[in-house]
Amino acid sequence: MTARSSGTTRRSVLVLSAAAMTGIAARAAGAAPQDELRVASHVSLAPTWFDPAETPGIITPFMLLYAMHDAVMKGMPGNPMAPCLAESCTMAPDGLSYTLALRRGVRFHNGEEMTAEDVKFSLERYRGAASKSLKERVARVDIHEPHRLTIHLHNPWPDFLTYYAGATGAGWIVPKKYVEQVGEDGFKKAPIGAGPYRFVSFTPGVELVLEAFEGYWRKKPAIRRLIFKVIPDEATRLAALQRKEVDIAYSIRGELAGELLRTPGLSLNPAVSSAPFWLYFPEQWDPQSPWHDRRVRQATSLALDRETINQALTMGHSRLTGSVFPENFEFYWPPPKPAYDPDAARKLLAEAGHQRGFDAGEYYCDASYANIGEVVLNNLREVGIRVKLRPLERAAFFKAYAEKKLKNIVQGASGAMGNCATRAEAFVAKGGVYAYGSYPDIDALFAEQAVQTDRAKRTAILHKLQQLVQEKAIYAPIWQLAFLSGVGPRVGQSGFGLIDGFAYTAPYEDLTLKGQG
Amino acid sequence: MKQFIVRRVGYSLLSLFLLSVTIFLFVRVTGDPTTLLVEPGASPEDIENMRQQFGLDRPIWVQYWLFATSFVTGDLGQSFYYRTPVLELYFQRLPNSLQLAAVAMVLSLLIGIPSGILAAVRVGGFWDSAGKTFSLLGLSLPQFWVGLVLILFFSVYLGWLPSSGSGGILHLLMPAFTLGWYFAAAHMRLTRSSMLEVLDSEYVKLARLKGLPEALVIGKHALKNALIPVITLAGINLVVMINVAVVVETVFAWPGIGRLLYEGITFRDFPVVQCVVVLGGSMIIVVNLLVDILYAYIDPRIRLES
Repeated sequence: MTARSSGTTRRSVLVLSAAAMTGIAARAAGAAPQDELRVASHVSLAPTWFDPAETPGIITPFMLLYAMHDAVMKGMPGNPMAPCLAESCTMAPDGLSYTLALRRGVRFHNGEEMTAEDVKFSLERYRGAASKSLKERVARVDIHEPHRLTIHLHNPWPDFLTYYAGATGAGWIVPKKYVEQVGEDGFKKAPIGAGPYRFVSFTPGVELVLEAFEGYWRKKPAIRRLIFKVIPDEATRLAALQRKEVDIAYSIRGELAGELLRTPGLSLNPAVSSAPFWLYFPEQWDPQSPWHDRRVRQATSLALDRETINQALTMGHSRLTGSVFPENFEFYWPPPKPAYDPDAARKLLAEAGHQRGFDAGEYYCDASYANIGEVVLNNLREVGIRVKLRPLERAAFFKAYAEKKLKNIVQGASGAMGNCATRAEAFVAKGGVYAYGSYPDIDALFAEQAVQTDRAKRTAILHKLQQLVQEKAIYAPIWQLAFLSGVGPRVGQSGFGLIDGFAYTAPYEDLTLKGQG
Repeated sequence: MKQFIVRRVGYSLLSLFLLSVTIFLFVRVTGDPTTLLVEPGASPEDIENMRQQFGLDRPIWVQYWLFATSFVTGDLGQSFYYRTPVLELYFQRLPNSLQLAAVAMVLSLLIGIPSGILAAVRVGGFWDSAGKTFSLLGLSLPQFWVGLVLILFFSVYLGWLPSSGSGGILHLLMPAFTLGWYFAAAHMRLTRSSMLEVLDSEYVKLARLKGLPEALVIGKHALKNALIPVITLAGINLVVMINVAVVVETVFAWPGIGRLLYEGITFRDFPVVQCVVVLGGSMIIVVNLLVDILYAYIDPRIRLES
């Protein structure tokens, strides 16, 4: 039977084919419905991130916690520790207890009202990365009335709130009755919180679907449905954004970020994270080492063309810094802007006896950031400091760094949450996990601030400490890394950069699509 | 025959034991997973706490004993990253991998076998050269590159196919082709060489002398025998496609076992890596065992020789 004999013509076949292809293309386009926002995540979402009790020491789970849960206090636009489920938090004059007055009428997604029992339960249940540090210092929790409780400490601990309401998930509240009813595994499978979005479904490795919780205390979210799709490959994430399959794509870097900027309708949204990068000189305490001379360390810092590195790698969006302490941290002291002056660097090297430069050995870095190292190497070579790049796989690098096995120059970074005191504890003070040595004056200041409960005095001490770190050129800081993400044409308020130091989009209830309020 | 099977099963169990020891030790020399689960700067107590939670503070032989005894009872442990039983994760991803592997295998056979036959029949001619070029490209072009080019062309420029993810037949086309092409090349080469060998055999010459049509000689007499090694290879390849399509599944965000393995390696998630490798290895061992038994059943010389 021919086409003609069946009543169909070649033209009708072509028309039908075209219609079918259009249908396929339309289906393939898979554009999101009007009230739905799709986010392409660069990492696989883990069910453990649905539970504040299990937050590891990394920032990524907070990407989901901000949607599904709420905290007594948390970082919000314009306030790094904004009262949320607690209306107020008062420290006792002796620094031994904190009293929380909870917001009334706050409901979990299952309709239960949040009370002090839930707050106590959430703190006691917390078993995340910093649980030991926190629980060793908390003596007990007393509930006075349904919306008021006091957390007692064994000893005054000025950083209590930094840990409780910032660096851990202990201050993020889960419903006690529900957790006890469904059990730990049940909670991860169907989490319930007090956040702006409630859990709908999760397909491991594929997507997480959330729906707006209309009873959220702060405001009703503008977008009805949020979908997090896992797309691990960066180029594929960009393709999905270009095709409008997703509205937001996390982590688009380097040349791909340039391609994104060239695509009409898309925009690049940088969010400067709390992750400074630096060069560290582990041998500065060895009198035989060239790094022992402060002038050599200062010369290294002067040799860094930070502006060019920034333009080349993060399109100029990272924040250049002269400090290893993040700008958004409590007690931060703003150092002078780091200068790029190769002539001054050469002069300092000559004064230190290295007129012809010197062979500085290996330059160690985490392999995922070897691109920074490649540029730095050229900068150093220009002033006569000859180093060889030695990228190590991430886990191996941090293991060797922490075990104090690295030499010459180490390119380090940290996105750990906390404040300037916690950062100094790990990277500057005697015995710090990543401190290869220390200076007595800095150690004395560190010890002094640890027991100082007067905030103004403590601030002054920590400022002095940071000043000394800068003067001694213990580090040559580079930048606070900008986390670059792509935003599609449908998005009104993307939420990037609203919360200082937070790399992801938040607060979710503030997000809008174009045409919404 | 019974003795042969018992011996083969013994070898298989020994292989499985060696595989489990190798992968158990291998993942542990790659580094400490806790360093990837906390930001640099976390306190040593908290890192130690995490190591205790994962049982990494125990001596390595104790860890292996716990792993082996749990494995026998069907428990492969809990993922460090997902905090979920790894078997649950594996079986969640398995249907996606089976789907992708099945389509990729069909594509690879549909492309590989006919082009292999054509290359053997027209040896030295245009089709032979074309087949060789095709197979060379399939084997040598990196899968991530092929995948990205397909995404750029069919998703970004033409807008015909979704760029990534799973959900329907349209989502399957690009990853299945990318995966299938590589294996099509292997199938094509084996079909060609096997066909050349068979076409040169006495019984094929006899069939031709008897005046049978060429299509019948090739299709019925030669192909049947030439396909035996190809089918054997395809069986092994299918297991490989199911378990280690790491690059394709990552580029296309396909939620299969290959990507689970990639995530396991990235996060030093020892239980996940162990589970995927041991189960994947078990599949290969079982397939080989069945093939050995089948061969021995068909050809008594094999069991007598061994």
